[in-house]
Amino acid sequence: MLQIKELKAGIESNQILKGINLEVKAGEIHAIMGPNGSGKSTLSAVISGKEEYEVEGGSITFDGKDLLELDPEERAHNGIFLSFQYPVEIPGISVSNFIKSSITERRKAQRLEAIPSKDLLKMMREKMELLSIKKGYLSRNMNEGFSGGEKKRNEIFQMSMLEPKLAILDETDSGLDIDALRIVANGVNKLRSVDNATIVITHYQRLLDYIIPDFVHVLHNGRIIKSGGKELALELEEKGYDWIIKEADKKWA
Amino acid sequence: MGLIKNIKLYSEEIQISADKKEILTSFLLNGFPTTKDEEWKYTSLKKVIAKEYRIENKGKIIDSSVIEKYSLGFKNRIIFSDGKLINTPTIKGVNITGFSEFESATTDSILQLNKALSQNGFTISVDKNTIVENPIEILFFSTTENSFSQYRNQISIGENSEVKFVERIQNLNSSSSFVNHFTQTNCAKNTKVEFNKIQNNTAESQLIDTVNVYQDQDSTCNINTLIFGGSFTRNNLNFEQNGSNCESNMNGVSVLNDNQLADNHTFVDHKSAHCRSNEMYKGVYLGHSKGVFNGKIMVRPNAQKIDAFQSNNNLLLSDTSSIDSKPQLEIYADDVKCSHGCTIGQLDDDALFYMRSRGIGIEEAKAILTYAFAFEAIENISAKQVKTLAKNLLAQKLNVDLDFSL
Repeated sequence: MLQIKELKAGIESNQILKGINLEVKAGEIHAIMGPNGSGKSTLSAVISGKEEYEVEGGSITFDGKDLLELDPEERAHNGIFLSFQYPVEIPGISVSNFIKSSITERRKAQRLEAIPSKDLLKMMREKMELLSIKKGYLSRNMNEGFSGGEKKRNEIFQMSMLEPKLAILDETDSGLDIDALRIVANGVNKLRSVDNATIVITHYQRLLDYIIPDFVHVLHNGRIIKSGGKELALELEEKGYDWIIKEADKKWA
Repeated sequence: MGLIKNIKLYSEEIQISADKKEILTSFLLNGFPTTKDEEWKYTSLKKVIAKEYRIENKGKIIDSSVIEKYSLGFKNRIIFSDGKLINTPTIKGVNITGFSEFESATTDSILQLNKALSQNGFTISVDKNTIVENPIEILFFSTTENSFSQYRNQISIGENSEVKFVERIQNLNSSSSFVNHFTQTNCAKNTKVEFNKIQNNTAESQLIDTVNVYQDQDSTCNINTLIFGGSFTRNNLNFEQNGSNCESNMNGVSVLNDNQLADNHTFVDHKSAHCRSNEMYKGVYLGHSKGVFNGKIMVRPNAQKIDAFQSNNNLLLSDTSSIDSKPQLEIYADDVKCSHGCTIGQLDDDALFYMRSRGIGIEEAKAILTYAFAFEAIENISAKQVKTLAKNLLAQKLNVDLDFSL
């Protein structure tokens, strides 16, 4: 599904990603872990097409397409979804209208007819139930005055409506208490299928107690320095990052 | 030729009182304000008055379907056709009649002209202790080509009464129209009054709209101004707070394109202590459009404990649009809270990226964000029909497709 080869990217001539290689197949969950400043958020920004980031080398293909050639909205139309670390507040636009616009725009790009509002509303209500979201939420302004937990749940709600092939969850656990974390993780698990894949970007292991990854990658200084199964996350939790970083620094010294 | 000449010729034909004649003579001597006049520094009337106008107009019969098209469907409707009053509603506790003479304290030449030439308008008096449930809708239609019309209206609201107005000035032909509209409002103790101005006239229409509000203690007056249409719009909102615990609120939205110009001039004269004023003006400028905001707040020496807040936020969405924004605070009391803020900006890149990452194309995302920006100033409109119309006009003008009324 997603293939990243020797990806080098940065911002304002400051190289942050120094050669990333990653392959994600349908049905898989990958966790990307690493200390602050290792390049985790840059990787998610580059995959989703944030324009400030400049790709200096390497490639990203998604279902055989050259992803780097596409605008952010085209990437979304092709099935990529980024759950933001800091979702943006948009006063004046209700959650329902926002979601309607994103679904309508995607269908337009796919040359499909718009879904009538009534049917969309029904779909929204179903997904809200799945994510234990209270009534009245649809008419609230997008993320305005939302608590940290509500913002993250809103991201997962949008994900459930857009049904992406590849979801990237960027620090979805940050700022969440344990109950909110459980609800968000349950949502992700319920939406999981053999046809879609998820990349979970996280600083801490605790989210991975709820969303069990197939692969864990450690990112440091713009490179994946170690990959393994879910047990790698537990090992990191216990021993921290230092031992891997030391090994890696020796290797790239 | 031009308007001055039209007025001169007209003044020679009509029979008016000696004092009106004097006012007119003085007006003709000085002419319309120019950009040398401080209050008109950023707004030029030159193009507006260069055109030819007809000053006396008969007022054609208007088809009811036309009225319905521009009405928001309120039960209480006052309707004018070229100044001629063609409908007045019957409302318990409210006396509505046509034009009557009244004095207005002003040196403004536009109001002088209004005083001298006016033969049209309405007079409304609301009894004491009267809550008018349904808003009173006032429709001013221009039916004659190239008409220059004066409206001179007076409203007095008795103690403890409440009333809402929805106003619309509409040109029904494709030629030019120019309206000089003035409303003087007296709010007695403990009254609540709200004006909603729907300014969505044709591309050839020009308007100078002045409201003078005199407030007694414990009164609240709200004015919502929605500017979407018209080629030239100047609003002068003047509040005088003459008793304690008064509140004056102004919300305004201007969404302009092509060569449209809209100027919102506000003046709150805080003459008494323990009063409040709030202003929130939002402007969106596309094409070659131009916006002007001038917000004057005067706090008199004895007007302590005043809370005055003013904001004017603008989005310039083209390289050829412009905004001149000027807060003007004169504070002579020492225990007051006055704040003002003015911003001129573009759309937020983070928000744009957020929307694009959800599949919303860049043009649509820009339009939605612009809508969201302007929405804040219409959020507080209390009359549901007006709020819905404002939302629809906004979405229509920005080409945004939002249909959930959730």
